[in-house]
Amino acid sequence: MNIIVLIKQIPDSEALVTISEDGAMLNIEQKFAMNLFDEYALEEALRIKEKHRGKVKAITLGSGKAVEALRTGIAMGADEAMLLEDEVFLDGDGYATAFVLSKAIAKEPFDIILCGRQAIDDDRGEVGQMVAQLLGLPHVGSIVKLDIADGAAVAEVAVESGKEVVKVQLPAVFTAQKGLNEPRVPLIVGVMKAMKAQIPRVTAADLGLTAVQTGKQGSKVKVVKYSLPKKTSAVQFLSGEPREAAIEAVRILMDVERVI
Amino acid sequence: MDKVLILVEAKGDELRKVSLELLSEGLRLAEGGRFSSEALFLGKLPGKVKEKILHYTEKLVHVTDPVLENYTAEGHALALAGYARKSGAKMILSGATQSARDFLPRVAVLLQAGIASDVTGANWLENPMTFIRPMYGGRVLSEVTFPAYPAIVTVRPNHFGLGAPLATKGEFTEFQAGIISEQLKTSVIQKEETARDKVDLTEADRIVAGGRGLKAAENFKIIEDLAELIGATVGATRSVVDAKWRDQADQIGKSGKTVSPNLYIGAGISGAIHHIMGMDTSKVVLAINSDPNAIIFKYANYGIVGDLFETLPAMTEELKKRLGK
Repeated sequence: MNIIVLIKQIPDSEALVTISEDGAMLNIEQKFAMNLFDEYALEEALRIKEKHRGKVKAITLGSGKAVEALRTGIAMGADEAMLLEDEVFLDGDGYATAFVLSKAIAKEPFDIILCGRQAIDDDRGEVGQMVAQLLGLPHVGSIVKLDIADGAAVAEVAVESGKEVVKVQLPAVFTAQKGLNEPRVPLIVGVMKAMKAQIPRVTAADLGLTAVQTGKQGSKVKVVKYSLPKKTSAVQFLSGEPREAAIEAVRILMDVERVI
Repeated sequence: MDKVLILVEAKGDELRKVSLELLSEGLRLAEGGRFSSEALFLGKLPGKVKEKILHYTEKLVHVTDPVLENYTAEGHALALAGYARKSGAKMILSGATQSARDFLPRVAVLLQAGIASDVTGANWLENPMTFIRPMYGGRVLSEVTFPAYPAIVTVRPNHFGLGAPLATKGEFTEFQAGIISEQLKTSVIQKEETARDKVDLTEADRIVAGGRGLKAAENFKIIEDLAELIGATVGATRSVVDAKWRDQADQIGKSGKTVSPNLYIGAGISGAIHHIMGMDTSKVVLAINSDPNAIIFKYANYGIVGDLFETLPAMTEELKKRLGK
């Protein structure tokens, strides 16, 4: 079983994000982590490998620093890793990113592709499904359970009204939702292995791609500018005994804000 | 005139609220004269939903095919892309529901279109049109545009206002998607409906959420009592879900759901960043916490520093009186 896991390195959720004066750029504090949902994807890949044997390969598209996320992946148990690193790959929309990933994946053997349901920096939640469509594969999104048998997968999806169980022929793409598993913490041996691992870099030229097809230039959605959300005015505290405060709260919600 | 396709969805026998919001937006756009809009429904269309839609659109297209009986991303994507190609629409607009966010990225690939997911605002009349989408859990807004069309936009619930129905009913047509079912490699083999009648957090108008301050699972009763009285949906923080006090479906925040209600009441919630990321586009926020320095007060319009076990029941009691229940 060949399993590919798409991993994204993202700014830590506590990292400071500010906007340049002209609104054209984000300045992000250099604190990074592997995207939370991608950890579930990788953990699931490792569990499938442990059960059915095979190989897990982690792929990241990003700048040089993103190799750290791949090292974390190897430390957790991935067999191989690959970094898609090229100036022209950067700042792409979901489409441009999925396009490059699909070209890189097409050169690899695979039965299963796993990724997180969403990266929590750009919050797009598009890339996994797009990779599937670009490769002509089915996908099941936001899975919370996955069983593999006889060239097919049975996946469980938590939907609003309850749950659905979906059967899909392999190869297929799955996007991981919280609840799928509990990601393991890397062991020291794994960390040692990861530090020594050679991680190949793949450029646009390696994939036969040109700048206009990828990254910012290849994007179908352009960012005009960034801004900060409007600050809510300072909190108004309702004082008094709990009962008085409660009555005042009800009065405000009903008569002033009219939201009840 | 630029044609906008509005993908409309039902939940059970009810039209989704976000769909109604978009249909209302479609009518407002049509009044401006620059756009025309068409409602589009995929799969099994309940009669009640059809009637409701027809009062909010000039035209409803019902896309039918045996493969649309159950939701699969592959089937829905092929059907929608097929109709969109034929109609020559400039835009596809949809609520940012779980299924739309799941299959519209595939449609984007099929149509070679750009997609802006989970937007909270639109500047239709600007040239070019721009859309606002929150990033980093709402800490940053990006204003985006499409260099080419068609384009796809999914909209977060509770951001476009509801309008009045039309005096006359719109036109109704059917479109057979003609999907070759052998093309599909996914099939739904089991469905379990446990929460059919509950308004989902993502679309809820009012939410009462609880955190660690509730101290135990059974204490959520006081949250539920208040929620039921005002027709609110119950939400929870990650730590409460991880402690198994509440179901995963109730989780608001980074690894849970993003909510945008008109009223959010948070009790016993400290305001960790991963929770704030899921609720900071709420309109009116009332926070109740015994710690005056709790971070959630920074994101609240109103705050009560006090014991939630006294405050919440007192609110419920007062509301019962005022609402005559």
